[in-house]
Amino acid sequence: MAADGSALEQPDDGRVGVSIDGRDARFPKGMLVLDAATELGIHIPIYCAHPKMDPVAVCRMCLVNIEKFPKPQPACATVVAEGMVVRTETAEVTELREGMLEFLLLNHPLDCPVCDRGGECDLQDFTFRYGPGVSRFPITEKVHFNKAVPLSQHIELDQERCILCWRCVRYYDEITGEKEIVLQQRGVQTLVATFNDQELQSAFQGNLPEICPVGALTHREYRFVSRPWDLQRAAGVCPECSYGCNINVDSRDFEVKRFASRDNPLVDDSWLCDRGRYSFPVWNSAERVRRAAVQPRGGESRDVSVDDAVAAAAAELRGVIDEHSGEAVAVLGSAQSTNEECWLLERLARTVIHTPHIDHQLEAFADLTAGEHELGIAEIEECDTLVVLGPQPEIEAPVLTLRLYKAEQKRGARVLRLDADTAPARVAAAVGTAQRVGLIADETNRAHAARVAPALAGKRSVRMLTITRGVNGRGAKDLGVLPNLGAGYQSAPASGKSGREILEAAAEGSIRALLLLGPNPALEAAGELLERALRKLSVVVAIDTRPGAASRAATVLIPGHALLEKAGSVTNVEGRVQRIRTALPPATSAPPETRVLSALAGKLGAKGWERGDVLTVNRAMRDAIPAYAAAGNGGRAVWAAEAPA
Amino acid sequence: MAEYKLLTKDFGTERLQTLSVYESTGGYQGLREAFKKFTPESLVNEVKTSGIRGRGGAGFPTGTKWSFLPKDVFPRYLCCNADESEPGCFKDRYLIDESPHQLIEGVLIASYAIQCNTAFIYIRGEYHDQRLLLERAVEETRSAGYIGKNIAGSGFDCEIIVHGGAGAYICGEETALIDSLEGLRGQPRLKPPFPAIKGLYGQPTVVNNVETLCNLPHIVQRGGEWFKSLGTERSTGTRVFCCSGHINRPGNYEMQLGTQIRELLEEECGGMWRDRSLKAFQPGGGSMQVLLPEHLDLPLDMDAVAKAGSSLGAGAMVFMDETTCLVDVSMRLVDFYQHESCGKCVPCREGTYFESQLMHRLERGEASTSELATLAGICANMDGRCFCPLGDTATWFVMSAYKHFREEFEAHCGAGECPVKARSVAMVA
Repeated sequence: MAADGSALEQPDDGRVGVSIDGRDARFPKGMLVLDAATELGIHIPIYCAHPKMDPVAVCRMCLVNIEKFPKPQPACATVVAEGMVVRTETAEVTELREGMLEFLLLNHPLDCPVCDRGGECDLQDFTFRYGPGVSRFPITEKVHFNKAVPLSQHIELDQERCILCWRCVRYYDEITGEKEIVLQQRGVQTLVATFNDQELQSAFQGNLPEICPVGALTHREYRFVSRPWDLQRAAGVCPECSYGCNINVDSRDFEVKRFASRDNPLVDDSWLCDRGRYSFPVWNSAERVRRAAVQPRGGESRDVSVDDAVAAAAAELRGVIDEHSGEAVAVLGSAQSTNEECWLLERLARTVIHTPHIDHQLEAFADLTAGEHELGIAEIEECDTLVVLGPQPEIEAPVLTLRLYKAEQKRGARVLRLDADTAPARVAAAVGTAQRVGLIADETNRAHAARVAPALAGKRSVRMLTITRGVNGRGAKDLGVLPNLGAGYQSAPASGKSGREILEAAAEGSIRALLLLGPNPALEAAGELLERALRKLSVVVAIDTRPGAASRAATVLIPGHALLEKAGSVTNVEGRVQRIRTALPPATSAPPETRVLSALAGKLGAKGWERGDVLTVNRAMRDAIPAYAAAGNGGRAVWAAEAPA
Repeated sequence: MAEYKLLTKDFGTERLQTLSVYESTGGYQGLREAFKKFTPESLVNEVKTSGIRGRGGAGFPTGTKWSFLPKDVFPRYLCCNADESEPGCFKDRYLIDESPHQLIEGVLIASYAIQCNTAFIYIRGEYHDQRLLLERAVEETRSAGYIGKNIAGSGFDCEIIVHGGAGAYICGEETALIDSLEGLRGQPRLKPPFPAIKGLYGQPTVVNNVETLCNLPHIVQRGGEWFKSLGTERSTGTRVFCCSGHINRPGNYEMQLGTQIRELLEEECGGMWRDRSLKAFQPGGGSMQVLLPEHLDLPLDMDAVAKAGSSLGAGAMVFMDETTCLVDVSMRLVDFYQHESCGKCVPCREGTYFESQLMHRLERGEASTSELATLAGICANMDGRCFCPLGDTATWFVMSAYKHFREEFEAHCGAGECPVKARSVAMVA
């Protein structure tokens, strides 16, 4: 710089100065004009570009004027440059947008009134906003294609509505790598179809209707179901697995009509798997526990108010505690419960009932540490080599596959899919000299993964991710709904029995009372043992949503709220604490579980449990557990005092 | 000045298609000299000196194109574009038919200059006989040691692969050609990156036209300075013009650039047939704008023709006599583009369809005058807004015809039939 300080040269901060519609701003080098405009709040209509895919520049809707270029340039494929002057509001741009829309509508069937996409269709929206209003095409006959072609049990294709934006083709090329959809024919006869007319096989088909800008690819499950403006939308987390994909729960008339993706680049990257997406009908099931009841052993079942049921439950539990001790009572939570419920249940067990016997699953997790979820989902892309032990992790959490593919394709990582029981030395040999290794296992082989990790250790970084089960399996573990660990993976004051041990002890009589917070599909796997235990127990307090073994055997039954009927938070596989919102009205008039658990604690003589609303419980939980306070909404819980791996 | 035979000098020699006869006419001397006299760098410079511009249509200086290849990135590929599909063009077929070895020699020289060890000749599907001829010639050349390892003792290795297309016009566009060669759907790629940086199989690639490559043996043997002495300052050398239409002697004529178009028409093509007069002509092929009799005095010079609002393009010359209906010709050309549009981008895919429908209505005399404005409107929305030049050029002929023959277009509106055709029939009868 000159001594007088006159030099005004910008320091190289990796950004360039650009003017868009007269507004000056600095953007990172390599950014597309389209994204720069979006950052300034300037809308550029586009069909072919998709934020998760490479540009193709085929729809020509995003052409804008850029100074020094004689012809309009595609904003979706032009990168910003120092001093670039972009104009999106010129007469030429206005006129060309009208022209492109006129072209697009030439052979579009305009069957909006019967199109599922009507109301959330980019072709409709941009036509209203930027379109010419009328067509000058003097011929009413259009080029016709097949309509309502089923591509699989989930997806239907309308070739006439298709505007050939290539997104579905590129999705299969770039995102899943499965290449199931291809373009056929050419010119105005071009159409999308499946390769060789085969049925779609992908486990991620449900994303197609979402990336389709028009109504060409639609969900068969959602055909003629609703208009978007008639749907109630609530932000939630996919309840199907522990991966924690963000979703919007769209419901109408108190029924879920679809799950839609809600982009979280750190978790789902906007993609859902079909298992999760199409799991929604289970939440509309009419088979529910609706009334509180007292069902004494050998006596007659009678419906009671929830208050009376809570009082009865407290009295029965108190009876067992007084006659024997707190240790005669066991508490079983669930990987389907929210963090707030898990936190209350753990405290209820250890500080009110004074029992060490608490768990949320059948089998004990030996040597569980927070290190098992050190590797974050997005951090998979930072690894140069990823070891996946067995097929199970990707079966449990299918969207993991897409992240692994992205790491492979966009970051050049190596993905090694090895047998679940590959010997540590062989894993080490396969990994070779890789510097940043990710080791992914699931619950069934986490112990093996723990033996593999030390064999890989050295100068490189080795991070693990265990795919847990249940939407809040991680939260239940974080918050100490475990026999051996309290909240934050701290050793519990006294070691208790695991889920299976609890059932065995109940069946032989040393455990006399059981507090169950359902629904717990994992428990049902115990089958006959569960039945035997439930029969033998003198007290079974069940808070459950569905009729089943637990609700039948309960001495006190209190209806629970299904996950989509609750507010609160759940923690995903990598320890990310995410909020869920009430998406459906509860199927019961009973208060939510947090209130029931708080009332039960109060009746058992505990102080300070008066307010059981989710907000109060959530605040109290965060006050008590700094890692959750730091994680806030959407961050990852980091455990400071970590036991050595 | 009559025809100037450089590439076509020995054409007609019996069995020129065989290696021995080709060698007896001095064949493969250019390649040997290239190895002897030039390093790859100096050869690129020699070609730059010659001033030769691409013969495929765009007219980009060949030496400059070669020099865009990034240093030290290997392998590199050469693709010879023999996908000659421009309506009115048949010079590449002629060059291959008459002397396949001249092309192979050119391919080898270019490969040496750009240090490419695998060259492809992408030939259009319809040129079946020419593909077989080339394949045979390649085999023959290989057994003579001009293809393969250590060619003619130079230490330079090169393989040539002849690949037949499937008959799509778009595959003559260099990036679509590359996609097609890779086994993909032949559609143009997004540029940048340009093929010189990232082309075939993601490697630096040069795509050159058949005629361009055929010039190389002559440039090597006689020098860039000598070559530059032919033609005009910025259009050097000769070009083979494919003359067709209402002329007495249609065919390929090699002319020194700078010669008057009139000379080509009157001396080589024998003038208009049946003593009719010239109504219009189209230089360059189906993509290019129409020119009028007054333009016959233009020199065969890329810049001069461009200045007149058209282009020498790929070297076609279509002459039309007074009986021709320009609406009909426009309609047929638009139909061609509608049929050949690859469907990748909206304005070309839908625009050519729109254009074609309108032109058919116009030619049948069904269109209203307002539809002429619509035609101009959609053409304006295509030109310069399509993904690749196909869509742009689909508007050029029809818009230039509309400009020069406006009354003829207007006369069609509401006429119920083609008025020109009706008149012509009466005239010819």
